Amino acid sequence: MSLENIRKKIDALDHDILKLLNERAELGLRTKKLKPAIHDDKREAEILDQAKAIARAYNLLDPDFVEKAFRTIVEETRRIQGSPRTLIGFQGDHGAFGEEAVRRHDAQLVPIPCREFADVFDGVESGDLDLGIVPVENSLGGAIAEVNELLIRRDLKVRAAIRLKINHCLLVAPEANYQEIRIVYSHPQALSQCRAFLSRHQLEARPFYDTAGAAKMLAREKPKMAAAIASRLCGELYNLEVIKENIQDHQENFTRFLVLSKDDRKDAPEKCSIVFSTPHRAGALFAILQIFTEAGINLTRIESLPDRADPGNYVFFLDFQINDARANLDAILENVGHKTKMFKYLGCYREEVFA
Amino acid sequence: MKNIKLAALKGKTRSVVRVGDVGFGEDLVLIAGPCSVESEKQTVEIAQAVKEGGADMLRGGAFKPRTSPYNFQGLGLKGLKILEKAREITGLPIVSEVLDTRDVSWMCEYVDVLQVGARNMQNFSLLKEVGKTTRPVLLKRGMHSTIAEWLNCAEYILNEGNPNVILCERGIRTFETYTRNTLDLSAVAAAKELTYLPVIVDPTHGTGKVSLILSMSLAAVACGADGLIVEVHNHPEAALSDKEQALTPPEFSELSRKIRSLRAFMDSLNGGSAAQPAD
Repeated sequence: MSLENIRKKIDALDHDILKLLNERAELGLRTKKLKPAIHDDKREAEILDQAKAIARAYNLLDPDFVEKAFRTIVEETRRIQGSPRTLIGFQGDHGAFGEEAVRRHDAQLVPIPCREFADVFDGVESGDLDLGIVPVENSLGGAIAEVNELLIRRDLKVRAAIRLKINHCLLVAPEANYQEIRIVYSHPQALSQCRAFLSRHQLEARPFYDTAGAAKMLAREKPKMAAAIASRLCGELYNLEVIKENIQDHQENFTRFLVLSKDDRKDAPEKCSIVFSTPHRAGALFAILQIFTEAGINLTRIESLPDRADPGNYVFFLDFQINDARANLDAILENVGHKTKMFKYLGCYREEVFA
Repeated sequence: MKNIKLAALKGKTRSVVRVGDVGFGEDLVLIAGPCSVESEKQTVEIAQAVKEGGADMLRGGAFKPRTSPYNFQGLGLKGLKILEKAREITGLPIVSEVLDTRDVSWMCEYVDVLQVGARNMQNFSLLKEVGKTTRPVLLKRGMHSTIAEWLNCAEYILNEGNPNVILCERGIRTFETYTRNTLDLSAVAAAKELTYLPVIVDPTHGTGKVSLILSMSLAAVACGADGLIVEVHNHPEAALSDKEQALTPPEFSELSRKIRSLRAFMDSLNGGSAAQPAD
């Protein structure tokens, strides 16, 4: 192996070490919710003893160095646990667009990766996570059915909305030659948003469960002649090179995310969301919409979803602007409630746009 | 020139190739920039200087066709990203040389005009590949190519369906050694007589001497060239390629002023716009 090769391998390993330390710190934060005190001397002694034992087994690193290193790690974990941090779950791996939305919205929040959307909801409901963030619709792809289903079935409230401009980047492993790329991995929605780009370079699209997951896989397995479409953040986190940014076919590509919590917020925001279904008779939906018309309220979203509990019927999502109508809101919602078969108030919140 | 069908002038109006706000064949287009993209700082500084000096477009080499494999080969993709950054900051459209057919589709993501260099003028597979895009192509005349060979190469590009070809005379090899090449302005006049394509001149490579660039640029405008492409560097002595022929920003500003004055005068001499079909 040449010096250059070895150095590249070391760089890749350093990336991995930091990724693992980050994961360890996240878990440390999550234990804070489950244990009473930050200091647990017995547990810390266990950690140090185990580390030294493993070092001795490998027989290269000095066990004293390993003890010092792990003591430092444990101290840092304690420091992180010591300051009050708000945990917000998102679906996918680190680098997902949900995480980018979190960072733009509030850099102090700690994004925690969850496997499925349901896991985000579970985490917030159980108190494991303080907040959750989920995508509800994309300007090109439309509504995200699975998330909307969960909003109907579960009892979380919306405390903020974020519209994020989605900038897709073409990422490759550091030594890859861009001329040799033939296959591109990403979430099907990302692939379809970059369809013309893929066609221009005669690249084959390979669906993967997640954009950040595709980037993570690329960094780990380095498949030949392959690239991934994901956020620029993924390039930084997984040590991938960005071949080109903003490769989406339509530049105005936005995804709307909702920040969820167990309780709704009471301060004066600008938008409100509800979900409802109507009795099965003519004019039922109109009667509800009429309430808003008469109150002079502007609707910003209306989306229907087939009602899984009642096949043949639909559930409606309604977003509207409240601004100064806040005073009447309770009356309006009560009125709406009377005219619906199922009614759920999701919350009132402010919406931010990040271009 | 019997087999020049697509590029031939006969009865057609002169072609105008639009890039951003300028039209080759309509306005006098001034392209300037470093020979090679060496760093972001260098390229952005030079881009800002040439923009201020009056340039319409930025040139910069990311892939360099060096005579020797041991010389700086260019920054490649990194160089293209730097050019893109310079365009973002200054608004100047970019022209850069493509060497490899495999790079054509990728370069189209970054540059506004693809340049086919003199040494690649008869690289037929490259000509066909750039012909398949719709990007304007700057086709340099080969250093030992006849006018007929040059126009046939334009024909290759046009034949693939890309109408946006700009010709560039950059000097030919002769027995003379004082100048790096011998700038052949008669070829500019001839090309404008034979084809409807815009024709520009590269006085930098055409002479290889800073002291000759201004006079040859003026001569090019006087003989009807539709534009110029010149190399500019803020510290020529530190350049990684072509240091003897790069203009400094003040020298470029002077050139820019003078050629525009001359062009205005030539327009009045020619009785109106220079974009007239030849008789």
